[in-house]
This record gives sequence, structure tokens and C-alpha cells, in this order.
Amino acid sequence: MTRAAPTTLRPTTPKEVRDAVLDTPGRLAISGAGTARHWAGRPAEVDATLDLSALTGVITHNPGDMTVSVHAGTPVRDLQAELAGHGQRLALDAGRIGRGATVGGLLATADAGPSSLVYGAMRDLVIGTTSVLADGTMVRSGGHVIKNVAGYDMAKLLHGSYGTFGPLVEVVLRLHPVPKATACVAVDGPVADAARHTAAVVSSPLEPIAVEWVSGDPGRLLIRLEGGVDTLPGRVGRLVDLLGDDAREIGDDAWSGHAALTAGQPSTDAPEGAVVRIGCAPARLASLVAELPATGVTAGLATGVATVTVPGAAVAEVHDAVAAVGGTSVLRDRPDALDAPAWGPAPSALALLKAIKTQLDPGARFAPGRFDPWM
Amino acid sequence: MPLDAPVREEFAALLGPADVIDDPVRTRAYECDGLTGNRVVPELVLLPRTAEDVAGCVRICARHRIPFVARGAGTGLSGGALPVADGVVIGLNRLDRVLEIDVENRRAVLEPGVTNLEITAAASPHGLYYAPDPSSQQVCTIGGNVAENSGGAHCLKYGFTTNHVLSIEVVLPDGSVVTLGSDSMEQQGPDLRGVFLGSEGTLGVVTKITVRLLRTPEVMRTLLADFPSVAAGGQVVSDIVAAGIVPAAVEMMDALAIEAAEGATGAGYSLDTPAALVVELDGTVEECDEQFALVKDICDRHGCTRLHVAGSPEERANIWRGRKAAFAAVGRISPDYIVQDGVVPRTRLAEVLERISGMGDEAGLRVANVFHAGDGNLHPLVLFSAADGETERAEHLSAGIAELCVEMGGSLSGEHGIGTDKACSMPKMFGEDDLAVMNRIRAGFDPDHICNPGKLLPTPRLCGEKPGRYRPHPLEEAGLIDRL
Ligand SMILES: Cc1cc2nc3c(=O)[nH]c(=O)nc-3n(C[C@H](O)[C@H](O)[C@H](O)COP(=O)(O)OP(=O)(O)OC[C@H]3O[C@@H](n4cnc5c(N)ncnc54)[C@H](O)[C@@H]3O)c2cc1C
Ligand SMILES: Cc1cc2nc3c(=O)[nH]c(=O)nc-3n(C[C@H](O)[C@H](O)[C@H](O)COP(=O)(O)OP(=O)(O)OC[C@H]3O[C@@H](n4cnc5c(N)ncnc54)[C@H](O)[C@@H]3O)c2cc1C
Repeated sequence: MTRAAPTTLRPTTPKEVRDAVLDTPGRLAISGAGTARHWAGRPAEVDATLDLSALTGVITHNPGDMTVSVHAGTPVRDLQAELAGHGQRLALDAGRIGRGATVGGLLATADAGPSSLVYGAMRDLVIGTTSVLADGTMVRSGGHVIKNVAGYDMAKLLHGSYGTFGPLVEVVLRLHPVPKATACVAVDGPVADAARHTAAVVSSPLEPIAVEWVSGDPGRLLIRLEGGVDTLPGRVGRLVDLLGDDAREIGDDAWSGHAALTAGQPSTDAPEGAVVRIGCAPARLASLVAELPATGVTAGLATGVATVTVPGAAVAEVHDAVAAVGGTSVLRDRPDALDAPAWGPAPSALALLKAIKTQLDPGARFAPGRFDPWM
Repeated sequence: MPLDAPVREEFAALLGPADVIDDPVRTRAYECDGLTGNRVVPELVLLPRTAEDVAGCVRICARHRIPFVARGAGTGLSGGALPVADGVVIGLNRLDRVLEIDVENRRAVLEPGVTNLEITAAASPHGLYYAPDPSSQQVCTIGGNVAENSGGAHCLKYGFTTNHVLSIEVVLPDGSVVTLGSDSMEQQGPDLRGVFLGSEGTLGVVTKITVRLLRTPEVMRTLLADFPSVAAGGQVVSDIVAAGIVPAAVEMMDALAIEAAEGATGAGYSLDTPAALVVELDGTVEECDEQFALVKDICDRHGCTRLHVAGSPEERANIWRGRKAAFAAVGRISPDYIVQDGVVPRTRLAEVLERISGMGDEAGLRVANVFHAGDGNLHPLVLFSAADGETERAEHLSAGIAELCVEMGGSLSGEHGIGTDKACSMPKMFGEDDLAVMNRIRAGFDPDHICNPGKLLPTPRLCGEKPGRYRPHPLEEAGLIDRL
């Protein structure tokens, strides 16, 4: 049986999203900016794609409460620009924000950047969501206040859902102040040395915001500090002393190389290698990534989260190596033709995940294939 | 239907007869939690000693469709651990081991019956601590904290329980055992860990918890400042936030709460001030000193009448002792009281406090206020005398205050949960569709409705039949949100 080419629907309001879900029979893919279109399981055939990139804009920003609600298709880059006028920000620095990734897409892919060490991932920054289920139900959870324990936290269910429960239409976020000053301290060396430095930094009182090793020859550990204009230089000095002679303060643009290794490729190019995101207990990460046949690595040695670029043929081996240390892994960008498993071994809660999927999307309409081969 | 003898024998065969309590004198000890007005004596209390035995108990319940209620220390304030008629209580207190303090990875692995304070006690020799600090931390359990997503004074800067739990081992209502979450922030698919956090014992029983530990800050600076009005104190909080400072804690107490706390602890609060703020900053010496000076300036600008800076760890501990004793201390100035828990956007604090005081006057009852001012989490304490027949009026006032918080764009609960206490208020905060979807999620975990039934979500039996028509949500009426 041949299918007609899938239609693309481009709703501009939550109501249009709901109408699209109700009026379009069959299976639906959801897309934001398209920056993560190759991530996770390859989408199976769908009847239509819901493109949410026109569902944009701030709904309410309450500077005094440090909360903002936005439409899910809003690029975080644009949101940051708007918030900066108030000295505020969403404390999320995932690499692909620079490429236009949307609030909904970042939440659906559970993405996060180096500063998750202190500010957490998207799951820690979202305080409310509205989404549309397969039967057209608009469901809201959470609210506009930071502290809230009324009802189940649906936002968490959507975190890492890759669209499988339906499109997010609104997201409420907690905000943080923009730091008065930021500094980056670097020390060159292989990952094993970086791990030793990391141990010293995290047991010091210096409160690093991010600690990431970036591969190269010989590789480089980047440490970010935030603080006051007058007070930060003193802490930078203490950090340099703690690390030893070859540590030094460098410009903030050092982070752009890091972002390039984690942000994936512009959607038009087929990437050279396969990018796998892995997570494990932090102290295990350095030896784990040292063993992988990686051509590019960023390793959050204090968070346990790394992004590695490996030959396509090595993806299955990476999943196995990560699982062997009790970690988790997911395939991100990959060459178009690559046939590799997107996920490592299924979680123990797979039956539960399926039961929830059946409750919310009984006809399996949304994002088919994303959790292949589990479900 | 009472549990029949063969079922009791199954439990006894699994746990040993000594760990299955059916003596009514002893089961009565489990008839309520911190919400003491609601009581149900359970049929049986099960006291397993291992996670395997918890799973075994749940499997027996599942086989016979016996409702069960997990219980930690029973300090919950929303009736979450209230037993269910004809059901069993599974007490987790005997699973009380700190399984591991992993210094290298800065985390602790715990059984659910470990108390909140024991975690920090076990971690502190390594210069580490567990951040969420409910006032009940000496007794409440980490299992209860996970179920309630508990907060504490230091959650403004450091986040709530959900931000500190990496993974949990859970016995699902069918008796199967799963791990939710992982060793890092990366997970395999949706964050089911986060769905379980704050689910109030309705999605399963947690038997093992891995939490993050933080490094003890280099310094802590704490001050206690008096103000001529609660509104002035509120303005200080707003200005601190506007200056880009995120304090570790900002707590406010009004005159009644101060009177009670000072009477109970002699911690050094002023008895003649209408409002007092506790502000704590922590971090590196450089940042802390700079910001502390700014905070002191802000206090002065708003007519601070006395500013006391804790000069030693003992003085700091004293200030916190007064604050953390406030709930219980209210017992000194009133024969009975209800602890309410609601949240408003911080910018509406002054307005809501004025409304609450008006509502109190109207009801002819006093309301004491102790609250987490930094995140808008109020704890109005409604004072009354049951002996004088004021109970119903007090309950009505207390429920009215929680619903007022929702009207102001806030939440029915910031940390104590919905439980049995507020289940019938949930339609004030969520539409029917929202609640129906929460019920579907619950059914995904618990298709037979045996896991803490009657809690968290309204049921017709509990709340009476609801009119079927959609009523606009209060936030919609306030123009804050729209449904479509
Ligand atoms: C036949 C076919 C053709 C497609 N063609 C295109 C195309 O031309 N361009 C394109 O960009 N995509 C296309 N897609 C969709 C694409 O495969 C991904 O589903 C989508 O691009 C991934 O999201 P993203 O990278 O745009 O957004 P991101 O914003 O990076 O989102 C990544 C993930 O989040 C989910 N997601 C994004 N926004 C939301 C939201 N608001 N609510 C819930 N989940 C969300 C997505 O489903 C995806 O799993 C197509 C899919 C199919 C099956
Ligand atoms: C004086 C006082 C001060 C308080 N201060 C605070 C505060 O500052 N912040 C705050 O957040 N709370 C506070 N509380 C409320 C209470 O202490 C917390 O909700 C606490 O987390 C409850 O823990 P517990 O062990 O007593 O749980 P319980 O009361 O025994 O149970 C609470 C809920 O958790 C469930 N549960 C318990 N153990 C498990 C388990 N292992 N698996 C699954 N479900 C389980 C129960 O079924 C019930 O629904 C205070 C209470 C008192 C009495």
C-alpha cells in the first residue's frame, strides 16, 4: 500500500493545534525548529506532521515573580533576548538553542547544557504545561508559581517524551537572574587529568556553574564561574591556584566549541559520525569515554552527562559500554543511511511506560517510532 | 468487608506474625497522620523489614484487591497517610538504613524510613549535606518526602525534593519492582521519576532512594530583621529579588507567630514587632559578603526597626529553632489550630495577607502567619477552640484561604500536598479534563485502584456529585490563562 505524502500542518494558536489533532485522522509527527529531527528513534511513517514553529510568543512574563509562560514553538534564543531586558534568563544553555531550538522541543527531548550542574535540566525549570492529547483533550498541570505540589506533575511526563504523548502548546518556566559577571577557567590535558581536577573543584567551596571536558589534542577542561563584577576576579584567582600552573582564565567563546560538539548538525547536512548522548554516575564518566572509539567528546565530569561522536558502526557498542556501568544512552544525530539502535537496553519501567502511553494515546497516533525498539 | 483469616495468614507467613499488627490497641496508633481531625483505624498494619517484603506485601494486596496505604513517620499534614477502611497500612519505618554515602559521586542511597535529618548527619563528616529541609526534618522520612515532594526553608535557592532525587526504586501496585530515574540527569525516555515525586503514595511504594548531596557552603550569613508591617517586609523580599540576589532562605513571621515561637523557644525574636524576616545567604566568602551588605541596605531602606546578625553558628541555629518551632508553638496561644498551606505569586503577598486578615475578622478567628516569603508559600495558622464549637468555622476559613490562593493565580498547596484534606478543592484549581487526565495517569500505574485510594483526586464518594458543566477556571477569569 502506498501512502500519500504526509501533509504539514502549521497551527498558530493552541486551538488550531487541537483542531489539527481532531481533524487529522491517523498518525502525527510533531516538530519544532527541526534541530533534533534525527534524534532518538527514526520516525515511522505518519499521515501528517504538526509543525509548531509558528506557535510562538510570550504569553505572560511576571518579572517580579520570575516566571514566564510561552507558546511551545517559541525559540529559546528569542525568549532569552526578551528576558534579558529585565535582567532575567531561562537558566538553560543546551547547545542547540543557538540553532533556534524551541521551548517545546527542548522539553520533549530532555535537553540540557553545561550549567545543568547547578540549575538542573529542563525538568527542573518547567513549572507548568498545557498539551493536547490524541482525543483533543487540552490538559494543564502545574501553574504559574514556583512552588506547587497540587496534582501529578505532567511536565515531567512530557520531559523526554519526544512528542509521544502529544504536542505541548504552552509551557510555564521559572527564571533566574542574569549573573553580573561570568568567567571561564581552562586547563589543558587528557580526560583522566580533567577528572582529577574536577574532583578538586567540586570538593572546593568555589561553586562552579559548569565543569566540562572537551576533546582535542590533548583536550581541555572548561570551568565556568558566575558572580559579582567586583567579587568574581578573587574567585577566579582561587580557582587558578587550586588547579595549578597551567590553569588560566580564557574568553567565554571557549564554550562555542563545546556547543558545536553537542548541538548536532544543521538539518540539511548528513553528519559524519553518529552522536550519542550518555549519562552515568559522574565518577565513572572519564574512564567510560576514554574507552569509546570517539572522534569528539564533551564530558560533564561533575554531572555524568557526555555527548560523544562515534563511527556509525560503533553505536551499538556504545550503548553496551554505557549500560555496563549502569548508565543510559540515546542516539542523537546520525548519517541518514545509518541503521543503528537508537536506545540502549529498555528500562525496567517499560511496561509502565506502555501502560501510560495506552492511557493517553490509545491509538498510538503520536510520534510513532521514537522509542523504537521498545515501543 | 473485613480481611478474612486466610489473607491475614498470608501476610503473617511472609513477614512473621510479630510484624503483622491486628491488635486494635496497636493499630489505633496508625489511625491518622498530622491531620489529626480525620481518623480511620486500619484493619491491619504491616511492618516489613526489607524491600523484598514490601513487594511481597503489595503482591498479596494486588492478588486480593486489598487497598493499601504506605506510611512513613505520619507527619503529613494533608491526610495522605490516612488509612483506608478495610485496607492495610504498610509502615516503612523499619527500612531505615543509610545504604551508601558515595562521596566521589556526591550522593546517598537510602531506604525510605531514613529520616530527613539522618541524611545530612551521615553526609556531614564528608563536608556534604542534603538540601531540602522541611521543618519536620527530625522525624519525617525520605520516603514521605519523596511522596509529598517536600520543601523547606532553603528550597528557594536549592529547589524541592524533586530537584534532589536522582532515582527511586518503586514497588508498583501490581507488586512489580522498577527503577525510575538514573545515575545522572539523562534518562531513558519520559521522566517517570518526576511523575512519582509528589504523587502522595498513590502510584506505588518507594523502597530505595538515591539523592544528590551538595557541598556545605563556605559561609552562611543569617539575619533577623523587624519591620513595622508585613507589607514592608514583603517589599524587602521583592527588592532583594530585583537586585538579582537569590537568598538561601527568606522566611517571614507575623506578630502572632512570633509571640508563639518566642514563647516556646526564647530564640530572641522581638515581641513588639508586627513582622520579622529571617534572611539567609550562603556561598563563597566573596559573593556572600557583598550580597549581605546589599540586603542590609535594603532592610534599612524599608524602615527596619531592629537588625540582628547571627554572630555564631549557635546564634544562627537559635534563629532557625524559633522559625522551625512556629507551627507547634502556636499550640501555646490557642487550644486548637489548623495549618494551612497555599502559594501565591510573591508579588501578591501583601494583598493576600490583607485579604486573609479580613476573612479572619469576618469569621471571628485569629490567623497567625509563618511563611516562605521567597517563593510565596503561605502557612496561615487558623486558631480556634474546638471546645467552644469553633471547629467548623475554622475549617471553613482555612479552606477559603487555600482557595483564595488559587484565585490569586497560585496553588492549593506548596508542600503539604492534597491528600484527603484538599481533594475536594482540586476542581478549584484544575478543570474536569485536567483531573480526568490525572486519573488516566493514575490508572496507568494502578489499574485496580488499590494504592492509597481516595487521596489526591476528588471522587464523587468523597466530594458528592459534581455538576457536569464546565466552569471557567479561576485563572481564566483572572485573564492569566486561556483554555483555547
Ligand atoms: C515523513 C516525515 C517528514 C518530516 N518532515 C519534517 C521536516 O521537513 N522538517 C522538520 O522539522 N521535521 C519533519 N518531520 C518531523 C521530524 O522527524 C521530527 O519529528 C521533528 O523535526 C523533531 O522535532 P524538531 O527537531 O523540529 O524539534 P525540536 O524542537 O528539536 O523537537 C525534538 C523532539 O521534540 C518533539 N517536539 C517538538 N516540539 C514539541 C511540542 N511542542 N510538543 C511535543 N513534542 C514536541 C518532537 O516530536 C521531537 O521528538 C518529519 C517527520 C516525518 C515522519
Ligand atoms: C511540625 C511540622 C512541620 C512540617 N514542616 C514541613 C515543611 O517545612 N515542609 C514540608 O514540605 N512539609 C512539612 N511538614 C509535612 C510533612 O512533614 C511532610 O509532608 C513529610 O514529607 C511527610 O513525611 P512522613 O514520613 O511523615 O510521611 P507520612 O505522613 O507518613 O506520609 C505522607 C504521604 O507519603 C506517603 N508515603 C510515605 N512513605 C512512603 C513510601 N515509602 N512510598 C510511597 N509513599 C509513601 C503516604 O502514603 C502519604 O501519602 C511538616 C509537618 C509537621 C507536623
